[in-house]
Amino acid sequence: MARPRSFDTDVVLEAAGTVFCRLGFEGASVDDLVAATGLHRGSIYGAFGSKRGLFVSVLRRATAHLDGLPDGAEDDALDLVLVAALELAPRDDEVRTVVGAVCETLDRRPGHGVGVLGARLLRRAGLPAYSSLPPTRSGRNL
Amino acid sequence: MARVQIDDTTMTVHVQGLHQLAGLKRRIRAPLAHVRGATVDPGVMGEPKGVRAPGLGLGRVATIGTFHRDGKRQFWDVTAKGTPIVIELENEPYERLIVEVDDPRATVDRINAAASPRGAG
Repeated sequence: MARPRSFDTDVVLEAAGTVFCRLGFEGASVDDLVAATGLHRGSIYGAFGSKRGLFVSVLRRATAHLDGLPDGAEDDALDLVLVAALELAPRDDEVRTVVGAVCETLDRRPGHGVGVLGARLLRRAGLPAYSSLPPTRSGRNL
Repeated sequence: MARVQIDDTTMTVHVQGLHQLAGLKRRIRAPLAHVRGATVDPGVMGEPKGVRAPGLGLGRVATIGTFHRDGKRQFWDVTAKGTPIVIELENEPYERLIVEVDDPRATVDRINAAASPRGAG
């Protein structure tokens, strides 16, 4: 079994999430994740099994309480959902399930529901808020 | 170069050609339930590898064989040219396999799809 953790999981997942949001899943190297989290490579593998395992942990934590998040945190969570939907969900059942659960949550919201993902994608790209899309929470770029 | 075979319950890493001699291993087998995941990781080449026993040292050209580090056993089969993948195991003689394969991305996807799903911890 893995040795007892000597790091704060929340801090590590937050730092890794920032890397995945900026570089994407494939674009983020293990070297990038080592640099951002301050963990040794062996500790990342020991704790999460793989880069994919780390990403799934980041995604689950970020989207666990989507309806209660402050604006900026919701944008970060949606960015991770976009990365997950684009890169991993087509070939990864577990990630697709998590993305699906997020969509269910968004779909229950009044107004444009799951359309906020499209709005966030364009907003993240620095494009303006189109009238046919719902407003994003904080309205900032990546 | 290694080849990863996956069947219903088992992952087998076949060591190819002369690397069998250098690493003193033909294959490493583990139940899929003991496979935690796989990662394409070119940067792993720069990691300290620990103490080799047994296996053959080929300097900067290749790292092949069993290495001991922090009380854990790792199997390496990588050359300076290839792209290594890291396969993390649990409850197995080897904690980690670092090998080169023909199609790293596709191989990693195959392993992760077959491995038992689990989160952190």
